This record gives sequence, structure tokens and C-alpha cells, in this order.
Amino acid sequence: MTAIALRMTGADFLKLRRKRWLVLLSLFLTLGILLIIYAVTVIEHASNPAKLGVQGGYGPAGGAKNFSDGMPVLALFFGPLAAILIGIEAGTGDASAGVFRDLVVTGRSRVALFASRVPAALALCWAVVLSGFVLLLLGSIVFASNLPTPGTSLVLNSLAFTLLATGVLCVISVGFAAFTTSRAGAIVTLIAWQIVASPLIAHISSLGSARKAILSQAITHFSPVSVEGRHGATVAMSQGTALLVVVAWLVVFLALGAWRTRTIDA
Amino acid sequence: MPTPSNDPATSESPLAIETHGLTKRFGERTALDGIDLQVPRGSAFGFLGPNGAGKTTIIRTLLGLTHANAGTMQILGRPVPAERAAALQRVGAIVEEPRFHMHLTGLENLRLIAAVRGPDAYSRIEPALARVGLSERAKERVKSYSMGMRQRLGVARCLLADPLLLILDEPTNGLDPGGIQEFREMIRAMVEQEGRTVFISSHLLDEVERTCDAAAIVDRGKIITQGTIAELASAGEARHELILGVDNPDLALSTLGGNELVVDVHRSDEGLRVVLAGDPETAARLNATLVRAGVGVTRLEPVRHSLEQRFLEITARLDEAPGDAPASATHEELPS
Repeated sequence: MTAIALRMTGADFLKLRRKRWLVLLSLFLTLGILLIIYAVTVIEHASNPAKLGVQGGYGPAGGAKNFSDGMPVLALFFGPLAAILIGIEAGTGDASAGVFRDLVVTGRSRVALFASRVPAALALCWAVVLSGFVLLLLGSIVFASNLPTPGTSLVLNSLAFTLLATGVLCVISVGFAAFTTSRAGAIVTLIAWQIVASPLIAHISSLGSARKAILSQAITHFSPVSVEGRHGATVAMSQGTALLVVVAWLVVFLALGAWRTRTIDA
Repeated sequence: MPTPSNDPATSESPLAIETHGLTKRFGERTALDGIDLQVPRGSAFGFLGPNGAGKTTIIRTLLGLTHANAGTMQILGRPVPAERAAALQRVGAIVEEPRFHMHLTGLENLRLIAAVRGPDAYSRIEPALARVGLSERAKERVKSYSMGMRQRLGVARCLLADPLLLILDEPTNGLDPGGIQEFREMIRAMVEQEGRTVFISSHLLDEVERTCDAAAIVDRGKIITQGTIAELASAGEARHELILGVDNPDLALSTLGGNELVVDVHRSDEGLRVVLAGDPETAARLNATLVRAGVGVTRLEPVRHSLEQRFLEITARLDEAPGDAPASATHEELPS
């Protein structure tokens, strides 16, 4: 990255991090939800702890198993929601504030203006997702009680997967938002696609291998813990195919966003 | 960072803006119809026209915010869009109203633009804020700014480019009288003391007349006339008019009605308004004619045309004869 590109990314990051509602909502989705889950499970365990040889009761809130259960909640559901919100804000922020034309009249390439949004959005997205991941990890250790804690390999693989899953959604959101130029429309479309349409389409077996093109299906194949049957993961495919699908989604939406930014009347 | 090879300051063109046959269509509607515009460097140039005449469209086209359908453009001697980046390096612009990220401070908004413009622009932030009188409020969020403060912040944003050319679209919109006066003085200082070119689009004739050295009048996507303010205003005096105060208006009307020295005479609030057939010297002969007819002349005053009157004359004529009027007016009315 050149010095100018770094400065432009820094400027885009500033725009995002100073949007209080965006940061608070994203933190709620990544950190707040996990806090609530931990609070509930800790209270359940404290009020009615599971006892060896006795039926019923609740196990500890921490431990490797709870970490493995909680990670997909962050990486495949709430994290992507935060990623979508951040990506869309990055993609439409200048246009909706009416300052895109002021950036264009500097003479700077429109594609460069678009490109600087991507790392800025990723930086904020990964910062909030990382805070949720740290909470998940700490909770799994602090509340493990007599259960085994997650190993280093599981933690690192889970971290990489969480960053990949949220990062891909964030980048696609930047491109899609720049393409549609409508913040509200992009939010509704992407969240509806991610939460409702993708899992539904994945379950239509008559579509056969065409379902491999669904982004969320491809992403789940990189998960270090089994998510088959959960979070909509139903379509079998090789790691290579999954990688190809993810890259194709990224390329297509980045290209659409860049094209639209380059050609739109400012 | 301007270099000797691409800095527009090194261009030898005496024109800050030059367009030939610039045309922009929105579907069936032609917003700019073969615009030929020449804006000399080091002047304040007014771009006058009623709302919807195409003022903002030409600015947007020049700045690359929208594409032209035909014609050529040069900014600071650089062809656009071919050398757009180099051309706009030393251009500051406010298009329509100045817009900002409202959740950021004035200072942060300038930093965003400085990041895009390059390292030199950072060093211009503080002087630009001081220049527009916003240093004290720079760390407040823009959403707390008044319209006038936003206009000033918009000018500060332009100054980050150390502009050779400032393009300002309706810059006094929303300013109070004091703000307008300050703004006018700032524009004049930029032109006279710093040698910058300022291109101002406005529908406020008085504003252009007071601020600008030269102007073009645009209507329905065509340049009707252009020249210095003095030339534009005096062009109307080719039709010399007098206001007459007389003791017997009816007798004066009948005397002047068939007179070969008079093109038109009619009553007005101020007295009799007379359009002369010849030059201003004809007024003396007219006076003698009236006196010989027994009319006492108490007042004989030439009518001074302002730019506003000229503008109203031109646009009124266009309203009467839409279609062919603009083309003929261009040639008839151009000052010699």
C-alpha cells in the first residue's frame, strides 16, 4: 500500500469508527449476545448444576465443547450480521452523506476511492468480531469448571475461521452496497439472503450441486468444528470447490462495486 | 503533490476554463446545448442563469461528476476527462450545497479530504480554517454548524488544494447579509491578492454584478452572451432610454408619438419613458422639440442599465420567442 492509500484507508476507518450507532450495534451483535448467552448459562448452571450420575441439571458454561458450540454462533450468525452492517456503511457512507462528489473532484481515481473502503471496513469488522472472540475464549476458560478447556489448535483455527467468515461477508457487503448505492436496500437484501434465503435454498435438494454456489455453504466447509446440519450447512463439497466459490463471490461483488463507483453520476 | 510536468500552474493557457460545443443530455432533454465558454485566469467569473438553466450541470460535467455527450473541455489548460487528475489537482469546488459527514468535526472532515488530496493538503488545514474563521469551532461536529459555517467550511475544503481555480455553485445560498458581504470580500481577495480564478454560478444577478469581473448568461442549456460585467450591462444601452418629467404629459405624448427621433414612448411611474432612435445626443434635440411644442421639461435623465435589467430583457425575449431566440441573441447581444 502506498502512503496515500494508507491515509485514505485511515480516513475511511475514521468515518466508520466515529459512527456511534454502528459501533455499538456491532459490538452488541458480537460481544453483547455472547455476554447474554454466558450470563444465562452461568445462572442456569449455578441454580441447577448437573451432577455425576444424576439425571438433569445444567453443565458449566465454559469448556472446549461450549467454545465449539459458541464459535459458530459468532462466526456464522451474529458476526456476519455485524460484518454486513459495517460493510454496507463503508460502501454507502460517502454517497449517503453527499460527500462522494467532493472526493471525486479531488481528481483521485474513483476505483481508488472504492478500494480504500475495503480494508477500512475489514479493520472495524475484525476489531469488533475479535472482541467477541476474546470474550468467548475467556468465558470458555473461566467458566470451564471441571471441563477441559479449548486447545491452542482449536482456538487458532477457530479464530482464523471466524475472521474468514466475517471478513468475506464484510467485503462482499462493501461491494454490494457500492453497487446498489442504497443503504437500506442493501441491508435488507443481504441480511435476508444470509439468514433466510441461503439456508432455505440449501435445503432444496432438487437444486443439486448448484447449491454449492451458496456462499454460506462454502464458508462452513472451512469450519474447524463440525457445523453440519447446523447454521444451514447441508451441502457437501470439497475444500477446493468451497475456496473457489468464496473467491468468486469476492471477485464478483468487488468488481460490481468498483464498476458502479467508477461510472455513477456523483 | 504537483510536479513541474503535471502542475496546472505551469500550463501556458490564459484560460482557466474552456469548453467547445459541450453537450449533455438526460434522455430526451438537452441540459447543455453546445456550450462554448471561456473563463480567463485571474478573474471572478459569474455564470448567470435562472433555476434549471444548466448552471449546475455544466459544473458537474467540468468536474467529471457526470459525463458529457459531446464537445471538448479544458481546465487550467488540461483536457478533461483525458487529464482529469492533473487538471483537478489545483481545483477546489463546491457543487450545489457543501455536504459533510455530519457525525465528524469540521477538522476531521478536512482531514478526510486531505488524505485523498495528498500530504501537502494536511499542512493547509490550519491556515484554511483560519482563513474562513473556523479555527475556534473546528473541533465541533459539523451537525452543530449553521449553514453559513458549512459554506465557510466548504471554502476551507477547497483551499486544501491551494486552488488556482475555485468553482462555487450558488455560494451565497443560506448566508445572512453579513455573511454575504464577508464572502464577497473573500472572493475579491482571492482574485486580486492571490491571483486565483473564481467561477461562481448564481441566479442572483446583483451578487454576480458586485463580485465578478466577467460573466456569461445561460438559459435553457445555451450561453446567451458573455463578456465583462461592464460590457454586458452597457450592451443594453445600445437601446438608449430617457426618463422625462414634463408639465403636460398628454401634449408630450402626442408630440413624441410620431417623432422620428423616438422609437417608443410610454408613461411610467417615474414619468415618460422614451426609447431613442439615435445616440444619447438625440436627447438634446428631443428636449428642443418638446420646448418648441410648448411642453415644460422638468427632468431629462438617461436610464442606466444594470446587469439585472439586461438579464431580464434577454430572458423575457427568450420567453416570447422560444426556440430560435437564443441563437440570434448570442450574436446580436455580444458586446463588441
